[in-house]
Amino acid sequence: MADHLVIHRAGLSAVQDLGRFGRSRFGLPVNGALDQFSARVANVLVGNDESAPLVEITMLDFSCTPSTDVLLAVTGAPAEITVGGIRRPQWEPTAVRAGETVTIGGIRLGARVYLALRGSVAAPSLLGSCAPDTILGFGRSLRDDDELAIGSGVPPIDHPVLRHPVFRLGVPVPGFREPWTIDVTDGPDVAEFGASATRLFDAEYTVSPQSNHIGLRMRGDVPQREARGEVLSRGVPVGAVEVPAGEELLVLHRGRGVTAGYPVLAVVTATGLCALGQVRPGQRVRFRKRSVAEAVTAHRAQRDVLRALRQRASTLFDALRLPMPTTSAPASETP
Amino acid sequence: MRQHVAIVDCGDSAVVVKAVHDDADHRWRAVHALADALEEARLSGVHGLVPTYDSLLVEFDCADTDHRTVRRALEDALDQLGEIPAERPSKLFVVPVVYGGEHGPDLPEVADQLGLTERGVIELHSGTTLTVRCLGAPVGAPMMDGPPFPAPVARLASPRTSVPPGSVAVAGAQAVICPMRSPGGWPLLGRTPLRVLDLDSERLAPYRPGDRFRFVPIRPEQWDEHAGAPLVAADG
Repeated sequence: MADHLVIHRAGLSAVQDLGRFGRSRFGLPVNGALDQFSARVANVLVGNDESAPLVEITMLDFSCTPSTDVLLAVTGAPAEITVGGIRRPQWEPTAVRAGETVTIGGIRLGARVYLALRGSVAAPSLLGSCAPDTILGFGRSLRDDDELAIGSGVPPIDHPVLRHPVFRLGVPVPGFREPWTIDVTDGPDVAEFGASATRLFDAEYTVSPQSNHIGLRMRGDVPQREARGEVLSRGVPVGAVEVPAGEELLVLHRGRGVTAGYPVLAVVTATGLCALGQVRPGQRVRFRKRSVAEAVTAHRAQRDVLRALRQRASTLFDALRLPMPTTSAPASETP
Repeated sequence: MRQHVAIVDCGDSAVVVKAVHDDADHRWRAVHALADALEEARLSGVHGLVPTYDSLLVEFDCADTDHRTVRRALEDALDQLGEIPAERPSKLFVVPVVYGGEHGPDLPEVADQLGLTERGVIELHSGTTLTVRCLGAPVGAPMMDGPPFPAPVARLASPRTSVPPGSVAVAGAQAVICPMRSPGGWPLLGRTPLRVLDLDSERLAPYRPGDRFRFVPIRPEQWDEHAGAPLVAADG
């Protein structure tokens, strides 16, 4: 029997990666982890490639038991992590013995938690990615009592008696605070909104329950488009803040269809999309205007954080003489 | 070529090229030729190209490249394009459609709006060969020029949360087949029993921009003859 995780409580969870890149010309959305920073950090903390498949857990409690010793990391929204009944820190690598139960519960303030295992997890792949595409009906959603195949285990690396976590990599953890501040730049159609465009930055918006990985609907004081007329479908980027005729904003996320016909008032920045990927239905959002240059600088600063973290993690794993995990997913399943 | 396009930033991770030539066919060929050229250039960091009717969206990771580099690559590609290449060889797809009734619930409303009979709408929609301009939303949908209706067709005031796969829809001066079950705001004229996408193929969709579709009305009782058959080109 190959090494695996037994999933006890799946909640709302699925195997995820950073997305299906390079397929938008065929009409496929990129999809992938909605909070890319947290997903990347989880993989870096266990020495995986940043794009390795991992588990994305949305809001509901999750628990599982590995069949072998593993090293895992949990990032994303604040939650309580226990291993064999003992509290363990989030945003740090955590050693788990074969047969110990891992619980992730009480997810709060944000919507999504990421669970990475050193050596990664198995998932069917479509066009180079395991990212679920709900419209295509593709992806590995987890269910109670599922077995999820995992990469090779690791030797036990915490203290056999005291069980102190041996790792302190010190990730700068992003803030999880409501109302959320989401950075945006001007969109290509901002001129169509005239003076009403600035309402976007004065108003507070409430995220509606009809929100998901495709897009978030938000109620509030919506800017009004002055221009009228037929819009031909055209490519819209992930992060597009669209203004349909009604009383809601529509903010597109990674599962968005690649073409649309509504005017694009603003575009959420790369770092803003990570935060937006954590916003829960019912929470409040404020938009903050950034220049393109400021947004690029913020994104690059986040990548620098990842690079530095990868360096520290690699030093640690070298010191422990842990074998490097394979770069690809284990025994990848076919769809 | 440079004088026929406008390039604008679209957030921190994308630029949009908008073709502004007088001729619609020229605009369409320009944005697709530009997408081909950029794909060929294999620019590091660029991970998404969406050429449509008259615009090209280029998405990239702004940690790996920047707007200036992408713009320069686009301008180089424009310089090298010179004259827009002639049309490439295209395939013809013949698509059986059950119009109206449960499969095309918006047919009466669209006929009303256009001042036509339902039959008149069906005749215009099935009487013309429609050209695929791009693959778009949802998931690889063939987006076509609309049939020669007397006026643009309005989108639904309240989009449906779930449109069945194979639904044949129109909006504005555009036509589409929805390949998979998905939300949608386009009025539905009918539905094809064919399976539009092949999840096991590398390209997913058998058609590409420039291919042509002809819709053929069938009776509801003929649905089962075609149900689940893959969509394949009539001319090989």
